[in-house]
Amino acid sequence: MMEIITRLVFGLYLLVILGGAGLAVFSANLVRAFVGMVATLLGAAGLYLLMQSPFLAFMQLLIYVGAICVLIFFALMLTNAYQGGDESAPAPLSKFARSLLAGLAPLVLLLPTVLLHPVAAKEKPEATPLAELGKVLLEEYTVPFELISIILLIAMAGGVFLAWERRNR
Amino acid sequence: MPGPLALYHLAALALLAFGILGLTRRRTLVGMLISVELMLNGAGLAIAASSMLSGANAALGQATTLFVMGLAAAEATILLAIIVVVFRRFGSTRTSDLTTLQE
Repeated sequence: MMEIITRLVFGLYLLVILGGAGLAVFSANLVRAFVGMVATLLGAAGLYLLMQSPFLAFMQLLIYVGAICVLIFFALMLTNAYQGGDESAPAPLSKFARSLLAGLAPLVLLLPTVLLHPVAAKEKPEATPLAELGKVLLEEYTVPFELISIILLIAMAGGVFLAWERRNR
Repeated sequence: MPGPLALYHLAALALLAFGILGLTRRRTLVGMLISVELMLNGAGLAIAASSMLSGANAALGQATTLFVMGLAAAEATILLAIIVVVFRRFGSTRTSDLTTLQE
């Protein structure tokens, strides 16, 4: 019974992800594409919940849906992404065919590998205690953990520096 | 019917394909940024699923996904700044307008 419910919920999240990604890629309106991306990120958070890692789902909501979406929303706001804007004009068919080819390339290359060579996998994921994750981050991999914070600091300082409006120019 | 790990990998693969399709299809920098986020999200999903559903160290995989999320946040910050600068200098973010190297 639980097995069937899990599969159903997985299918639901997968539908949300695929629908959102389709909207994000094919919508002529960038604001709708943005909404599609938010739906995709929420669906991915659901998949994290399904694989027994609620902390990752929480972080997905906090970092992606919370922070990155606000950043992209600011980018939309600052660049006149109005309806009927740059993305709404129909593209030439040859260009669409080429981008479709580019998108299909990873599918053609990787889909047979995923389907024909399954890895020896567990049927059910086991939850990892949060303390174990904290130990990985603060004992074994302290340097990458600190480097990430330095990279974030540098990125934010660089962002402020780039976007700074110089008055006396 | 593929196993659970293969299903998660299929979801991540679909995100990668949609991301590349969008990256090559979109004509503005913001649309490309959205596609890049899709791809990064797929990568994080694949890493987390691989560690949770195989014999690998699960905590390590989760930490790696957190690193991917952190890098995605840093990348989005820098891209927002670049988009703002490009928009201020060129008056649009269409990629066909940003061709000063050709002239």
